Amino acid sequence: MKKIESLAAFCAILAGVVLTLITLITVMAVLGREVLGKTVAGDFELVGVAAGAAIALFLPWCQVKRGNIVVDFFTTGASDQAIKHMDRFGSLLMALMAGVFAWRSTLGGLNVYAAHSGTMMLDFPEWIIYALMVPPLALTSLVGLLQALGFESTANKNNGGDNATKGNPA
Amino acid sequence: MSPITLALLIFGLMLVMMAIRVPIAVSMFFAGAVGYLIQAGWAPMSGWLNTQAFARFASYDLSVIPLFILMGHFATQGGISKALFQFAASVMGRFRGGLAMSSVLASAAFGSICGSSVATAATITGVALPEMKRHGYSGRLSTGTLAAGGTLGILIPPSVPLVIYAILTEQNIAKLFAAAMVPGLIAMVGYIIAIAIYVRLVPGQAPEHDTSEPFNRESFMGILPIAIIFTIVFGGIYGGFFTPTEGAAVGAFSTFIAALIKREMNWPKFKECFYATAESSGMIFLIFLGADMMNASLALTQVPNQLAAVVSGWGLAPVMVVAAIMLFYVVLGAVMDELSMILLTIPIFFPMIMGLDFGMSKEYTAIWFGIMVLMTVGFGMLAPPVGLNVYVVNGMANSAGHNIPIAESYRGVMPFLISDTIRTIVLLLFPGISLWLVKFIG
Repeated sequence: MKKIESLAAFCAILAGVVLTLITLITVMAVLGREVLGKTVAGDFELVGVAAGAAIALFLPWCQVKRGNIVVDFFTTGASDQAIKHMDRFGSLLMALMAGVFAWRSTLGGLNVYAAHSGTMMLDFPEWIIYALMVPPLALTSLVGLLQALGFESTANKNNGGDNATKGNPA
Repeated sequence: MSPITLALLIFGLMLVMMAIRVPIAVSMFFAGAVGYLIQAGWAPMSGWLNTQAFARFASYDLSVIPLFILMGHFATQGGISKALFQFAASVMGRFRGGLAMSSVLASAAFGSICGSSVATAATITGVALPEMKRHGYSGRLSTGTLAAGGTLGILIPPSVPLVIYAILTEQNIAKLFAAAMVPGLIAMVGYIIAIAIYVRLVPGQAPEHDTSEPFNRESFMGILPIAIIFTIVFGGIYGGFFTPTEGAAVGAFSTFIAALIKREMNWPKFKECFYATAESSGMIFLIFLGADMMNASLALTQVPNQLAAVVSGWGLAPVMVVAAIMLFYVVLGAVMDELSMILLTIPIFFPMIMGLDFGMSKEYTAIWFGIMVLMTVGFGMLAPPVGLNVYVVNGMANSAGHNIPIAESYRGVMPFLISDTIRTIVLLLFPGISLWLVKFIG
């Protein structure tokens, strides 16, 4: 689990760096357009596809931290043991969902590769983004599977039932 | 099987899975998938699955979400909040309950560059709670205030839930932000009034006099970085210089620079920003995927459309329909996460609302309804049994060594929930308050 966890952490940091680079590209594009009057064609397409890769790369860490929200309203009275079993089952289904998307996105990627699909203005090959999305989706599935087997992140030892309070965006 | 039975079956399956702690996104996905398979079979579904993750993740419009989240975390880690609270205290400190009012003011200011209520609550709690406790504020009032103040993070733009609503309903993000501005400021004033009344009605919650810090040049500097970033982002968006996504990117970049100038940013904090952004963004986008599957499946049953037709056929007063939806949200919000609730129900409720005549344009109806939805999200962050903000603030207080039972914190948010209720009713009856600023945007 430890190695998988650091791999997930690496993905999250990589995605963060990509996102920060997006902010830099955008600032330059905006300055270039508003100050110098030079428009960079299709910069928004780059932002879109880069964000796609970044979001997929965020998923494994989110699952390591059990950041995917669960409803605990109905199970407040359940024993720790019962909750542990339920969370393992939830992780298994999570592994299945991420696995389905990893599998189908592989096929989707092969389709766009064969069709030479690119973005509208820059003709940026879409298969590259598929190729960047599949490994983190598969990693997310693996993390879920390990959690279903009872492995837990060292970072979650103290707050086993604490789901996504820190990361909650709302 | 009739469409209604099938739709209920899909919904029921989802609720059962949620009840046994299957993550919300996964429950929606599997319930939706089962419904889809029953109706259309594997061939269309497999095609849908091939492209859906790509379509959802690699979207320019949706990239605004992780960018605003990253911006909020840069602001949280960037050491901006401490100076901000000092500034607020120098303004409000002279009043009775002044430090609590200062917390509200600081939350509102922080909320103007942060789109998350939990992040706002946690950030301001970090700087304001020690001061309030030091000056003899009760655990009830201090945690209640900070939890409520946090909701200003989403009520005042930028606002992640509002961005999600805008994307789901294909509305203009800039116009929705403009619509949220006045209600957000009303919320801030309402909270300050709630504090003023509460400290007079209930003795022993706040000291008779706060020692007020003088207002000087140094405390004014505290508000400067946030004021500049806010001006750049919203000036840029409303001045027509850039799109909301560009605004989020420029905002995140400026916040990052501000943190660097304050010499608060180092590699460990940088990593902390990325991890927190990963958790929030990963969670949102997985819910998107789950809700997409669910909605694709429900759309096949045609029930959402029929529901819209049935409700408009009842001839109820349109405002009553909105009021009923909001009551439903308050009840559902007691057991369910607010974001998932929006993602799941907006595709059903939105066509229903658009089918009713509120005496204003379709666009204004959509914008106003978005503000009403936002109000219920804010309410849900505070209301028992699971008010996320209350949990976060109470948890922080207890790990800082203040022994405050969660029930005390819930008692503390009551004055603010009353304020929320009054504001929501006013906004429901007078859409003009939300739409006033929107009229100035072309």
